[in-house]
Amino acid sequence: MRIVSQTARALALGLTAAACLAGAVSAGEYHLTVDKITIDTGEFTRSGVGFNGTSPGPELRFQEGEDVVIHVTNNLSETTSIHWHGLILPYQQDGVPGITYDGIAPGETFTYRFPIKQSGTYWYHSHSDFQEPDGAYGALILEPKAPKPYSYDREYVVQLADAHPHHGSRIMRNLKMMPDYYNRKQRTLMDFFSDAKDKGLGAAWSDRKDWGEMRMMPTDIEDLQGFTPVINGKGPAQNWTGLFKPGERVRLRFINSSAMTYFDVRIPGLQMTVVQADGNNVQPVVVDEFRIAVAETYDVIVQPQEDKAYTVFAESMGRTAYASGTLAPRDGMVGAIPDMRTAPLLTMADMGGAHGGHGGMDHSQHGAMTESKSVEMDHSKMDHAQHGAMADAKPAEMDHSKMGHSQHQAEAPPNPYYADGSGLSPTAANGGKFLHYGDLKAQKPLYPVRAPTREIEMRLTGNMERYMWSINGIKYADADPIRLTYGERVRFKFVNETMMTHPMHLHGMWSILDTGQGQWNPIKHVVSVSPGTTIYMETEVDAPGKWAFHCHLSYHADSGMFRKVIVEGGPSDKQAAIPTTATGG
Amino acid sequence: MTRILPTATALAVALSLAGPAAAEKPIWGIQVEQLEYRIGDETDVAAWDFDALYGSDELKLVFRSEAEYAVQERGFETLENQIRLQTPISDFFDAVVGFRADTPRGPSRYSAVIGLHGLAQQWFEIDADLFLSDKPSIRLEAEYEGLITNRIILVPSIEVNLPLVDDHEVGVGAFGPTVEVGLRLSYDLVDRLISPYVGVHYERAFGETANLARREGEDAGAFFVVIGTRILF
Amino acid sequence: MRKSHISTLAISMTAAAALLVAGSALAAGKQDHHHGHGGAADIGKAGKASAATRTVTITMHDNYYEPKGMTFKEGETVRFVIHNKGEFVHEFTIATAEMHKSHAPAMQMMVEHGVLEPDRINWEAAKQMQAKMGHGMHDEPNSALLEPGKSAEIVWTFPKHAALEFACNVPGHYESGMVGKIKLSH
Repeated sequence: MRIVSQTARALALGLTAAACLAGAVSAGEYHLTVDKITIDTGEFTRSGVGFNGTSPGPELRFQEGEDVVIHVTNNLSETTSIHWHGLILPYQQDGVPGITYDGIAPGETFTYRFPIKQSGTYWYHSHSDFQEPDGAYGALILEPKAPKPYSYDREYVVQLADAHPHHGSRIMRNLKMMPDYYNRKQRTLMDFFSDAKDKGLGAAWSDRKDWGEMRMMPTDIEDLQGFTPVINGKGPAQNWTGLFKPGERVRLRFINSSAMTYFDVRIPGLQMTVVQADGNNVQPVVVDEFRIAVAETYDVIVQPQEDKAYTVFAESMGRTAYASGTLAPRDGMVGAIPDMRTAPLLTMADMGGAHGGHGGMDHSQHGAMTESKSVEMDHSKMDHAQHGAMADAKPAEMDHSKMGHSQHQAEAPPNPYYADGSGLSPTAANGGKFLHYGDLKAQKPLYPVRAPTREIEMRLTGNMERYMWSINGIKYADADPIRLTYGERVRFKFVNETMMTHPMHLHGMWSILDTGQGQWNPIKHVVSVSPGTTIYMETEVDAPGKWAFHCHLSYHADSGMFRKVIVEGGPSDKQAAIPTTATGG
Repeated sequence: MTRILPTATALAVALSLAGPAAAEKPIWGIQVEQLEYRIGDETDVAAWDFDALYGSDELKLVFRSEAEYAVQERGFETLENQIRLQTPISDFFDAVVGFRADTPRGPSRYSAVIGLHGLAQQWFEIDADLFLSDKPSIRLEAEYEGLITNRIILVPSIEVNLPLVDDHEVGVGAFGPTVEVGLRLSYDLVDRLISPYVGVHYERAFGETANLARREGEDAGAFFVVIGTRILF
Repeated sequence: MRKSHISTLAISMTAAAALLVAGSALAAGKQDHHHGHGGAADIGKAGKASAATRTVTITMHDNYYEPKGMTFKEGETVRFVIHNKGEFVHEFTIATAEMHKSHAPAMQMMVEHGVLEPDRINWEAAKQMQAKMGHGMHDEPNSALLEPGKSAEIVWTFPKHAALEFACNVPGHYESGMVGKIKLSH
């Protein structure tokens, strides 16, 4: 990649000098407290954890180029921490107890100091116990130096979360005691009768038998149900509202701060132009709906033209609950709330990797294998990849090429980021365009394309019945750290052998998701891996120190799907030596 | 009981040594499968059957207690406490070792336990225990949670106890099994914390054990209507 | 140089236009050319450079223009000199909002056929697409599609009354703000 990184290096070399010359680098000082608070979702109230007395915590806004000093005071009776999710910073500032520091003891104040070297939409949250599910999260907006590659008249943070009436530690315990404790979408005798009516008794029986043999549930999509989805802390009844004037362009910064829940987001009546993912600008893509994995961010621009209320509608992936809010020209308006769609069921394709070698599963394994291969094949076309992947992904659209309207994606082929025949592969409620990873193209590549120096396989493994989650079959407690060498480019191969979807998050360094688009591969901090699929991401190992690498589903991370990463070598000052350039805005 | 305590202490020590790594919090909870009142033709019975557990994914210490208290007679027909150590041996099954103390009204019995606990295909929860002492016996338990809806659950269960030698003192004869079958319809009232149920419970002795009962002037079988609650905490 | 640019532009525009239903939404400067949907708006027509009363420089960035909006006199002929200083392919098209909207799917098709890559126009793919679609060559005088670093000129005579926008219809660019209003004053 070109000018960008050269400029960045030049900047880095003369950072101090540049700062003096430009006089632009400010040192903002901020104060945060971690407090015991009351959470009120409109459906329940409970005690929780917040920042500066609220959950979500205050929206923090820093300026790219700023050196921030953040004093965090722990008013809890237990250790706390704040992790700056997606930020490129010295590891000692990353805020992961047990890896980067000891955490913040009760009554103590810890002062974070780090430079802001990027821009975009991010978030911050506690990385201690279950404080994040209990409410300790907030939005973090980094304003760019450079002009943004898009324009808008106003903006809102739309921070989603799955507020649960139970405390996190209780939830974890319940899941260990009974893995389906919170699954109230299980198939019942009533469902059996209705299946028998639809498919015939034999087919319904044989289907139940197949799943029963595996001791798995096709409904095992949301481990944790019974939550109230919130937008900026407000439940559907409390109706978070963002105001607009008709015709204005409105930027919505979606952040999924849920402990466990993926959301399918749409605004009926509006198309959304996705301009940023995980803090990095992407080449704008117009969609009708998108799925946001836990801990991801997506920034979209909408242009509501009419003088009416539009509903921001986010159904959970398992369709057990929805978040809703309103974009309205005036306060107090409520848009129509759509019905939730039918809950999906996992298929044998999603089970592909879940129980390898299990008798009677040949057919399903076959499906999953085919899919894994096809995804890999897409990725092999690196040299002419920009359009290759697109063309491959959308053969069906050729037939619609003479159509002059934009709804022609109605018969879009299966999403390549789900197993072939997956029950989870989403479609847009209006039959329009549903975003998938292949649609994300970096607006400005952060790093030159180069061959990875090595590949590390990470099989995502687990045992649902024991509620044990692991990587390569080994839990965090029993695992050696992953050792990386400064300066290498590592290709991570994620093989999801479970039936759950895992949002994998590497701290401190970017995750370049390989969508087969070469330099345009999107730059992320969370990569969601669907059941029965294999996907790759590459990381330029440019940040010395100790980092966390884990599934961002809170109860998966806590039960072992977690690794410590040690980056050896590199500059002794422990600063990220190849500062990345801002791409967000 | 006194013999149990040192053993329990030893087990607890073993558990803490092999227990959860620093990063993981202990798993603990109480699962009450039965806490019920059985209304019978001749006698009513108050009964419980629960596990209290503590440990890690790798090793759990389980306190299992089962009791049947004859209300009219004011005495425990069954009072059985076990200390069990449980460790995974496959994806779905744990191996169990432990000690069992039977201290109902009448003579007490003590035995060691080795067994299996887990989930069989088609979602049958299985306990298979071999009780080792000079009066050995085998016990098989199976239970199935049938979801009528996601909150109304019908649980058929069966328990077979098979004494391997005579123990006339406590009314069992070699290879004379006792069988308990139950059908309980529960409703998850508060999460899965409290799930009250109604149901039926039938128990019957066979073979020599049945003969012994008849000689005592008791019925070999008994039928009860039950009302109770499951508790999971 | 300019000549060759125009001809290659023509190919790409043909590829785009070939995909349009019932005549091109870009078929500008043909006031009498009425279409099904209540007739094409009068957006003006190609002008002669000699008639231009002024020259306006348009700079394309990722993904916005400088200037952000423009005002001309009714009937004025303007020479636009357009430079693409961004890192991506951009378009400069004078049309109504509705015309831009109906043009968008064609641009999407060009992306999907590999004609329009993020930072270049794939002429090979354009030719293939043209061959497949079997449409003849024609130029669209109200539009320029530019690779990074390239420049073009458009001379345009504005009509008396029209609600016009200049915009980039590369997918997503219009929606993310690469559009400006053209006001026509008395």
